[in-house]
Amino acid sequence: MSKDDLSRRDVMGMAARGAALAGLGGVSTLLAVKAHGSDAWYIDTSKCVNSRLGALGVDTCLRCATECVLPLSAVRAVNEFADCGRCYICPAYFDIHSAIDADGLPSKKLCPRDAIERRPIGWIDPDDPANNFYEYLIDESLCDGCGLCVMDCKEPAGLGSIKLEVRHDTCLACNRCSISIACPDEAYELRPTV
Amino acid sequence: MMKYRRIGEMGAPGAKGARFEESARAVACTSDGFWYLAGDQEIHAFDSEGKQVGAWPTSLPAWSLAVDRGGRIWAGEQGQVEVFSPEGHLQDTWQNEKLFGFLTAIAVGERDIFVADARSRWIHRFDHNRGFVNHIGDHHRKGGFHIPNGVLDFAVDLDGTVVVANPGMHRVERYTPDGESLGYFGRFGQHDPESFPGCCNPTNLALGPGGQVVVSEKAGPRVKVYDPHGKLMAVVAAGDDFDLGCKNMDLAVDTEGVIGVVDPIERILVLYEPVDAPVATAGVTS
Repeated sequence: MSKDDLSRRDVMGMAARGAALAGLGGVSTLLAVKAHGSDAWYIDTSKCVNSRLGALGVDTCLRCATECVLPLSAVRAVNEFADCGRCYICPAYFDIHSAIDADGLPSKKLCPRDAIERRPIGWIDPDDPANNFYEYLIDESLCDGCGLCVMDCKEPAGLGSIKLEVRHDTCLACNRCSISIACPDEAYELRPTV
Repeated sequence: MMKYRRIGEMGAPGAKGARFEESARAVACTSDGFWYLAGDQEIHAFDSEGKQVGAWPTSLPAWSLAVDRGGRIWAGEQGQVEVFSPEGHLQDTWQNEKLFGFLTAIAVGERDIFVADARSRWIHRFDHNRGFVNHIGDHHRKGGFHIPNGVLDFAVDLDGTVVVANPGMHRVERYTPDGESLGYFGRFGQHDPESFPGCCNPTNLALGPGGQVVVSEKAGPRVKVYDPHGKLMAVVAAGDDFDLGCKNMDLAVDTEGVIGVVDPIERILVLYEPVDAPVATAGVTS
């Protein structure tokens, strides 16, 4: 065994050990980041087809509800009350295409899990229900983030007050989030928590 | 049912005038065939052939237009009204810090001036000395007209009746100039074309010859004509006529019954004429 051979083996061994250490370091860094909760999955609502302006006449994307590894997805629909029109006929609450009932309202609700509650605000005009404001509350224990209400609240049908959000107290923060893989709009982003 | 056909456009690119860069918002017309279109921070004037005959700037973006009997053009803006000669010379600026929020409709009559303020959600009535007379719409339980779409629109007929689009209640409402309710027509309905669909329709309104009520809707965009009693007379345009994103399409009707519709996506004015209907007495409001 020559001096040169030893030297080459040493160099190769050192390189291999270095690569292994670097790999371990990367994994440990990722684990550390996850342990500290400094990165989390977010939905960019300007990319999501359900809330993206101009994406009209298309089917609702249901992948946030169907692709999450949890039994009930970590994604929820959230109604930003400041932006809500408090409408008498809310297209995110009612299935506005269903038959009209005796009270002149759509006979069916849009949400398949009945997760939205409609509640009159303040004093109620008993003679004219259209003459009232209504607030729409989403029960997060029922919502699975399917996005149907988000699509039908979007401009111009509604005011776009309902958006999808990842609930970080529920999300497992998988390194390869299955929703992000399935998302056709690349609307899922791993970002530092805010 | 009456029928209408699309007869032309005003403000289309490369044609007889320059197209607005960013937005088209409001329209008015005169009894002698001139059309005025507000967009960006300008007003464009067109003759009856669709040729652009003038353009001038406004100090703020105009959200509503009206033409008085003298041919002057009144532009409703945020916090103020600007008045221009037919040639586009600024003649007056009327500001009212308390009552002029966001002026999305304006009508100028012999005795009264009415402005719709989308901020308060009321219509304010003034005399020609700018003296405030009364509000319309403040009796509503909701504190004003319900306009989730962000625009309050109305027109005044030849008798002085104020006809208002109240989209959140799916109604067209009538008032005396004093603000007393004279009733309404309309109800929610997604499938019956006589009804108003979605969360909030109709969004815009104008009056045509014989007291016809012309309305526009959003999601999906549609233009309809009703008789004065609320019976549907025509679906003027729907479906492929407009981009699905069109909303708050302002309207004006000339003495021949030609309807001008602002297309905010294409940033043009689209004209429709009645095909087979007799045109009754003249009367133009916007």
